[in-house]
Amino acid sequence: MSGQAQAMPGGEAPAMVADSDGRSWMRLIDWIWTVRGDILLPEDLSAEQAFARLDPFFHEPGTRFDRSDDSLTFSKKDPVAQDKMSIYDTGVLRIERDAGGAVLRYWMTSKSLLFCFLAPLLFVAFGQLIVGVGLLAGPGTEQADKKKDEKKKDEVRPLHWIDKALGAPEPEKPKKDAKDKKEGKNQFSPTSAYVFAGLFALLYIIGRILEDKLIRRRFQRSLAGG
Amino acid sequence: MTGVRVGKRIIGGQSPVTIGWENVPKVEGGPFKRLFFTWFQPAVLFSMILFWYYAPNSIAKASTAIGIGIAFRAFLLALEWVNPRYKSWELTWKECVTDLFYVGLGYTILNLVDNFLGSEVLIANLLSTFDWDKFAWFTGLPLLAQAFLILFIFDFGQYWMHRGMHNWYPLWLTHSVHHYITQLNINKGAVGNPVELFLIGLGIGGLFDFLPRAALLAGAIGMSIGVYQHINVRFNTPAWWRFLFNTTEHHSLHHSQDFEATRSNYASNFIFIDRIFGTCVDGEAELLGMEGGRRMSIREQMTYPFTEGWKTMKERFGKADTTHVVPAE
Repeated sequence: MSGQAQAMPGGEAPAMVADSDGRSWMRLIDWIWTVRGDILLPEDLSAEQAFARLDPFFHEPGTRFDRSDDSLTFSKKDPVAQDKMSIYDTGVLRIERDAGGAVLRYWMTSKSLLFCFLAPLLFVAFGQLIVGVGLLAGPGTEQADKKKDEKKKDEVRPLHWIDKALGAPEPEKPKKDAKDKKEGKNQFSPTSAYVFAGLFALLYIIGRILEDKLIRRRFQRSLAGG
Repeated sequence: MTGVRVGKRIIGGQSPVTIGWENVPKVEGGPFKRLFFTWFQPAVLFSMILFWYYAPNSIAKASTAIGIGIAFRAFLLALEWVNPRYKSWELTWKECVTDLFYVGLGYTILNLVDNFLGSEVLIANLLSTFDWDKFAWFTGLPLLAQAFLILFIFDFGQYWMHRGMHNWYPLWLTHSVHHYITQLNINKGAVGNPVELFLIGLGIGGLFDFLPRAALLAGAIGMSIGVYQHINVRFNTPAWWRFLFNTTEHHSLHHSQDFEATRSNYASNFIFIDRIFGTCVDGEAELLGMEGGRRMSIREQMTYPFTEGWKTMKERFGKADTTHVVPAE
């Protein structure tokens, strides 16, 4: 069947099973951005029927696909947020038959997974940049900027009588030395960057497991006719 | 599509919108659920005011405010799952990663740039160059009056900056990226080109002196009002709140695929500023974005203002395209 979109060269379909060719070394790292899987098809389901049931996945905006008898190749550009396969950019689905029956094997790549995997490195780099800029800026400039305000900081401004009557706490005289030290430290603190690096590492693990399970479940449901 | 006449304008002529509070759906469910989603927003606002007004000095500090802000956003994320406004706005893993990337940029690189180029720094330099002092007129006012002034001064400036972004092409180039979001979620406010995020953060608040507690109160009030702009939760927001403050309904109209609807509801917190200047439209929209809802990748979000600006410059000042053939009629 011809797809709704431009055909993709079939020769570009990657090996979906581990092999001993020059590409096999990629298998060591491509799990980072690649989701693979296989699903046993119901006995009475032909390849034509199986792809017909999966058809709605490939009729989303920004999706191109090309279907032959036993395989489907797709690519996506700027898929909408609620596209069930929005994290995937390219992929191949193939139906193979052996003694055990028919199996749908899929191989899909995701720039989003790769981005999330690399994001912790980016934020660690941001943290290092912040530390570096802090060192270049030096403490001298901050102190010079603050000198003018020092006199003011010593003044404790009184509360309005309404606030006093309502019981709001009186302002305290700022502890100048401690505060200045803290402010200078916080201005070029890399802590936020490291927190986000950790957050993206966690998000990657969640996404890699969750999205793998979600797409498998969705394919299974569709193939079962649900 | 005919749209609805609002004043002199036709809203919803290009994309469906809902105009008028009477047409906006209500929270459905049991009495507890309806009670919760009716009074949640005012309860949080007044609790925040009471907390920051009476908290001892040892607690009333910026680190406490940051902690409360993060915890509150996490709670609101959970509310998006419990009572979403639209299923089509549900937060997916990919959307969550994209949003958090921009939140992260705000806390790191943009914060770093602000240390050198932010409005506080620029104003401090201005004051020191001319040997001026900050305007201290407001420190004698009651705390809540000071907090309101801090918010109002910022919001008034932001209203005009935002309106300017929708009316002056160079500024629009930076802001347009934010209008490519196709759904509202709690962290979507952070999504945009970094140049715009820098510009929208500029304010003249640094010219004025306020008590530290007033600034903390302003931050808490601003969070308790402004956080609902980009949120996928359906509330039965009280009428007085909708009259005074910006809501997710107002802001969804502002992000609608309908051009006229986007030219409304510019204020960040106080929608009454829009009412004063005739740009407020009450209602909501589900279909958001630009170019029919095309989702922009992070790479394009980073480069779009520059590539689009370059294209426009070439069209306007470049050589005429001689290969372009006009078909005969």
